[in-house]
Amino acid sequence: MFILALLLGCGNNNASTEEVSEQVTEETATTAQVSDDIISDILQAIPSPLEISFLIKEVGTKYNSTNLNSVDLLSHYNTSYQQALNLGTYATDLGYANLYGKNQDVLSFLNCVKKLADNLNIGQFFDYETIRQLASNSGNVDALLQLTQQNFEKINYHLREKKQENLSILILTGGWVEAIYLTSLVHQETKNKQLKEKIGEQKLVLDQILMVLEIYKTKPNFSTLIGDLKELQKVYSAVEMKTTIGKTRTVEKNGELIVETETQTVVNISDADVEKITSLVKSIRNKIVK
Amino acid sequence: MKNIVFVSLIAVFSVLFSSTASAQCDSELYSNKALKALQPGFTFVKSYKIDGKNGVRKNIEYTCVFSKDTSYMIRMEGKDGGPNGIIAVLYDANRQELATSYVNNRFFPGWTYKCKATGIYYLNFTFKESQAYCGAAVLGFRR
Repeated sequence: MFILALLLGCGNNNASTEEVSEQVTEETATTAQVSDDIISDILQAIPSPLEISFLIKEVGTKYNSTNLNSVDLLSHYNTSYQQALNLGTYATDLGYANLYGKNQDVLSFLNCVKKLADNLNIGQFFDYETIRQLASNSGNVDALLQLTQQNFEKINYHLREKKQENLSILILTGGWVEAIYLTSLVHQETKNKQLKEKIGEQKLVLDQILMVLEIYKTKPNFSTLIGDLKELQKVYSAVEMKTTIGKTRTVEKNGELIVETETQTVVNISDADVEKITSLVKSIRNKIVK
Repeated sequence: MKNIVFVSLIAVFSVLFSSTASAQCDSELYSNKALKALQPGFTFVKSYKIDGKNGVRKNIEYTCVFSKDTSYMIRMEGKDGGPNGIIAVLYDANRQELATSYVNNRFFPGWTYKCKATGIYYLNFTFKESQAYCGAAVLGFRR
């Protein structure tokens, strides 16, 4: 607005209406560009659900396919809203199955991802054939994970370029809800402290997801999803993350820079809040996959 | 006469198009190179375009959420060759510098940050003595 005032105030007083309207359009376009950049930055910042899947495996739990979304539900997803959310859900399940080397499930989830991506006109960014071949030969977990991640990144870049960030955030939200759903189920069984902390840490990610979803609150179905996630945010308001600042030092080992820090975070989350989060996440996830 | 004008126009457009194309930064090419430099044990999660728009953009910044008890590795590749001309700096949420890839007047291909504090971080890329202002970085994690 300041730039606009300056343009109008310092410009030629005899400027025609056309000239003024051009200045206004230019200002509006600049504002929209900044806004797009901010959205892109937040989307880029949302961590991959793969980090959570690694922790679940590290805790030592066995692969449980009954916790994952059913491939039989694929035909239920008819709107772009449902398709984008469940593309995220199946993507997290695909990563989880990849990690455990469950090749048959990988192929099933891959088919779901491919079909939903095709329906959303983003299937061309998914290298289905190479992933299928990698999944068919065991022992390629790293290559599989890498290619899958790269493909999803291409999808997200494309959606941002086409100004379809609303689909991008739905894919990310679906993926995130599935990841926290799996974490809370495994935590219920194991009562593992690391998983409990991981559930608490998601407070940060939820805030970011909601920030972007709010921008599209007028789009169909968004208000229900936002409402559900805001209920979750209310429970998360009791979660405390305390950071103690410490020293950081860099050492060079064999030409590698390794940075170690004493800065630490402690996540304070009560068992009661974990239970509330588990229950709410389950209900949100069930609405997404139904 | 018409033919001369037509041929001249084609020639002008060809020159314009080729100069624009050569000025573009193919980040995907460099992120694929950087991926190969990611050490075994690290899982790729994100790539970052480092396009300085021929020197117009001096500073490219991305926000990240890092988790405690996780190591994050950054690897960079650029048009100047390897990591030359690009510096990756990590800041915490209070804008305190935590890591830099430029140490003792030397460009390192990246760094590994052993994170113990979950939070928002800023990954900043700047150019130093760069001719190309173009590259990419990849982020990998290890638990």
